[in-house]
Amino acid sequence: MNTTTATAQFAIKEPRGLSPRITWLRDYFFSGVERPWNNEFMPWTTGTPWDVQYDEISYYIVPETYAFLQTFRSSFHQMARTVHLHDDFWKWSLPERRAWFVKEVMVNYMPHEVLPGDLIAGSRFNLQASRCWTKKELQERDRLIYGKKGARAMMKWFHDHGFGNSGATSGHLIPDYKRVLVEGWKGIYEDLMARYYELSDREKSGPRGAQLHAMMTAAVMPKELAAVYAGECLRLAAKESTPSRKEELKQMAANLERVPWEPSVTFHEAVQALWLSHMLVMSDENYPGPGVSFGRMDQYLLPYWDHSIRNGMDREFGKEILKCFWVHSNTAYDAMIRVGGNQGITAGFGQLFNLSGLGADGADMTNDLSYALLEVIDEMTPILEPKPNVRLHRNSPEKLMDTVVSMISSSQGAPFLLNFDERSMAGMLREAKRSGVGHLINESNVHEYASVGCLENTMVGNDRSGTVDNNLNLLKAVELALTGGKDLLPFTDLLTGKTEPPARVGPDTGDSTKFISWDEFWNAYAAQTRFIIKKCVEIYEMSESVRARFSPTPYLSCLVRGCAAKGADVTRGGAELSFTTIEGVTFATTVDSLLAVKYLVFDKKECTMEELIRALKDNWAGNGVLQAKAKNRAPKYGRDDDYADEMARRVMDLWTDETWKHTTKSTGRRFRPGMLSWNYWVGDGFVLAASPDGRPKGQFLSNAICPSNGADINGPTANANSVGNALGGKDASGGDWKGYLNSLPNGASHTITFNPSLLRDPEHRTKFKAFLRGYAENGGTALQVNMIDADMLRDAQKHPGAYRHLLVRVTGYNAYFTAIGRELQDEIIARESHNKY
Amino acid sequence: MKTMHDTTTAPTATVLNIQRMSTEDGPGIRTTVFFKGCGLSCSWCHNPESISLKPQVQWIENRCIGCRSCVAACPEGALVFGAAGVVIDRERCAGCGACADACPSTAMELLGRKWALEDLVREVEKDRAYFEQSGGGVTASGGDPTVQAPFVAEFLRECTLRGLHTALDTCGYSSRQALETILPHADMVLFDLKILDSAEHRRRTGAPNERILENILFVCDYMKASGRPSSLWIRTPLIPGATATPENIAAIGAFIAQNLESAIERWELCSFNNLCRDKYRRLGIDWEFRDTALLSRDDLDGLAAVARRALSNPSIVQWTGAPRVEKDSDGGPGKRHLTLVKGCTTC
Repeated sequence: MNTTTATAQFAIKEPRGLSPRITWLRDYFFSGVERPWNNEFMPWTTGTPWDVQYDEISYYIVPETYAFLQTFRSSFHQMARTVHLHDDFWKWSLPERRAWFVKEVMVNYMPHEVLPGDLIAGSRFNLQASRCWTKKELQERDRLIYGKKGARAMMKWFHDHGFGNSGATSGHLIPDYKRVLVEGWKGIYEDLMARYYELSDREKSGPRGAQLHAMMTAAVMPKELAAVYAGECLRLAAKESTPSRKEELKQMAANLERVPWEPSVTFHEAVQALWLSHMLVMSDENYPGPGVSFGRMDQYLLPYWDHSIRNGMDREFGKEILKCFWVHSNTAYDAMIRVGGNQGITAGFGQLFNLSGLGADGADMTNDLSYALLEVIDEMTPILEPKPNVRLHRNSPEKLMDTVVSMISSSQGAPFLLNFDERSMAGMLREAKRSGVGHLINESNVHEYASVGCLENTMVGNDRSGTVDNNLNLLKAVELALTGGKDLLPFTDLLTGKTEPPARVGPDTGDSTKFISWDEFWNAYAAQTRFIIKKCVEIYEMSESVRARFSPTPYLSCLVRGCAAKGADVTRGGAELSFTTIEGVTFATTVDSLLAVKYLVFDKKECTMEELIRALKDNWAGNGVLQAKAKNRAPKYGRDDDYADEMARRVMDLWTDETWKHTTKSTGRRFRPGMLSWNYWVGDGFVLAASPDGRPKGQFLSNAICPSNGADINGPTANANSVGNALGGKDASGGDWKGYLNSLPNGASHTITFNPSLLRDPEHRTKFKAFLRGYAENGGTALQVNMIDADMLRDAQKHPGAYRHLLVRVTGYNAYFTAIGRELQDEIIARESHNKY
Repeated sequence: MKTMHDTTTAPTATVLNIQRMSTEDGPGIRTTVFFKGCGLSCSWCHNPESISLKPQVQWIENRCIGCRSCVAACPEGALVFGAAGVVIDRERCAGCGACADACPSTAMELLGRKWALEDLVREVEKDRAYFEQSGGGVTASGGDPTVQAPFVAEFLRECTLRGLHTALDTCGYSSRQALETILPHADMVLFDLKILDSAEHRRRTGAPNERILENILFVCDYMKASGRPSSLWIRTPLIPGATATPENIAAIGAFIAQNLESAIERWELCSFNNLCRDKYRRLGIDWEFRDTALLSRDDLDGLAAVARRALSNPSIVQWTGAPRVEKDSDGGPGKRHLTLVKGCTTC
């Protein structure tokens, strides 16, 4: 993403300590389309003329693709190769058809290559497989998707009018991989079979029976696929002249003959089993890498690591296996390898895993494998998948903290996200309380939570919480409160060029120019907030109900506890913990806008409401003084200012309380709140009208729970305190968990940019470590650490307004970068370009 | 919003700035309160706006939107908006801050605001968690905090009562009484020794140094007698052509070796920087060091070596700050990989 506030690129860290094997594999990966073959999407069809591969619903949360939905659908269909169907194919239920089709393609149609030197098998998994619909099913589905009131039109309306976006999306969960390692797919299969045979004949021929049968078909897919790869390994071994490689290939074949069907014994087996089981989730969903996350890899892989180390595995060889796993994970990007100049690598992926963190009774769970994984990250960086998230807590060991800080300083920015257990766990327990799932999330197991995608907290192996399914611009409610329920601006469709006058889109909350008190405005805002959440819930229901009926994922359902017991696909709410998350976008812009309305119109009477609305309609043109007052004089969230943060808390309480009130009709998934803004805060800045905080239309909104750009003028500690306070702060009498409060079970994305001089020597690195420990006390659920670099400073010269907070620190002296003259700025840039801390 | 208390009854101080997450003013993560007013007027001073106890205003040109609200707001008629922007008539300006209050874009800034004790204590307490994790705390700096000694003593006392670590950062040019007021409430002292030759000291800072040298000895005696403050750092700014001479550093070193060495934990040599150049321009002061280059890494290493040679425990010496940017000798930009999206830039 090339935007003015995204972290600029810097002199990129070089990988180090890689063996010739890994160097080759890594370089090979980065040769992109030059590779002889890759993992680009391959479409497959049942051969019917009405067949469809591309399920657009998964992309409703990606506004950039809206213009291409029909193109994708028809071009995949045209390219698709035909699969010879089983004679009974069309007699089966949809889940059975789909389970069989995906298995057939993966086992018998997709190529099965093993790369030179690779220690892990499992190469091609990016499918666009037939949705396996009958003509009648397709017609029924299309009726729900197309048309004026269809899911697509409504979703587009929602986005065009600045509400945000919403759609039932793939991935974004942590499958029960541990079970695969412990029981093998054999165990899962036997369990399914037992459940199937417990059904009455009537149930067997009904939807539950069909679902279990489909899952049984899916459950043998890993076994059959492993057998094919075992054969390939043996074929290569027979041709191999280097004895050591020959042995490796034989070992790989032996592994594949056992796992993932049998329980894993060795570390090599466990990683092989994990990879095959994982890549097939992406095959099953036809959607690579979107937050199909691994959970606590350093915990569930540890027994195998320990076993192999005890039995003579060289620790470096164990890391070598992991590095192969890393390379495989990155091939998810191949799906759209020709899109953009960067071999399909975008931030829209996120096969996340967690490291370290709390165990039962407050124990720290850091172990040798945690460190080995950190070494792998350090040695492989820069490489993006799988994405690490290190869980920190009050008792994180010094050694881990030292490693984390040292990696941050050597990478000039963190090569991982940091999650903070205490605040996160408080949020999960809030979820348990609010939604009555205390039997599944409670004080005795909440430490087993893990993060999905980036930082979205869920439980593991039994939880689908739809962590990016709903992305709601909280700011829209401010706009509607100003106008009494109408769009502030006319809407122009960029595709057709047609302009519609401002439409009534929300309830009539009265003429705000007649309001005589702030409370009246707040009440209008609250009513509009209730409305936009309800609207989001309605829009979501359209895609959620369609997916539930027409897009089963029987393989994934095998890996989510609850599905087998209920005989319900995960897309039908089969998971034991079945939520969908509304991610509140534009939080700080919303809070700051409310603060500005109060300050400008009611407290200081700098303007009338009418004048403010006029200024917003004119995008502040001719209102420079008022805009400057809104930007600079009105209070802002993010400065540890009790008054402003009180408003933040009020906004948080309002929208989260409202979110908990809703449940999907078709699948019974409770809505829960979170704050992740993906890249919407950039794009929707061009959709939403100017806001009372001084932001013009076309300028970015605030990102997730971060303060508005340039607003956090009191530094990182103040910024962190504000975030912690917005989440609820602390409550000495107990809170949600051990004194911590947290309104957002999903967690909240928070980025702070630091000055690299903070990490220049051991003394300062110790201070930074202490900052992280302080963050665990006062801050949010997750932190991305960025470092100022020369490119960012150059950007600040061009866009000073977005960098008012940027502090340049030299011993004993701090200055706001944008408040010093150009000449000195250049000097500092030159200095920053040369400094290697 | 800060709720200012009634300034007529509650004790107040004139504060230039509050710097949170300061990592350069003592141990750990600190909140540094810069009190306005200083007895010295060093020609190189990095915070020229901190010398006068009086509030002053400055105009930051690149924040200005040209609305002239400040000109209209000034009760003294001290502001003119000309071709080069706002010109402040320093003779007329009373430092009332009406212009800063009127400025919509924070271009007009009031340097020095009244803070009530209670508010200031509440403000610094916000970072308690970070202090506790880092062994940090609160530093009273300036200017020179001894200029407002009664308030500063009271402030540090309140901090101490709340369990916050306290540091006094002083140039040492103060009355014995002012020091005696503050020292009981400081856990540590950061004490500047700039030039050992008194005549030269006077020429460069406006005052001879005898009182300063007496005060540092007094601080040492006080520490020995009362056990508090418990830690003392000496700081010497390295100003090219002024303090940064081997002779001066050797002389300060000798003074330390002879009188202080057992009492001090650290001697910091703070490298000259020029970030304050614009401040001088904004305050309408012609700065002697405007075009002075930063010291090179070799210069700094050399001066540190001189300092170390003077002491029996050389490990307490360190230089801090930014050296001059050297011509890059290790080649151009490194091998570039594919442009990767760094970390998770979007979520």
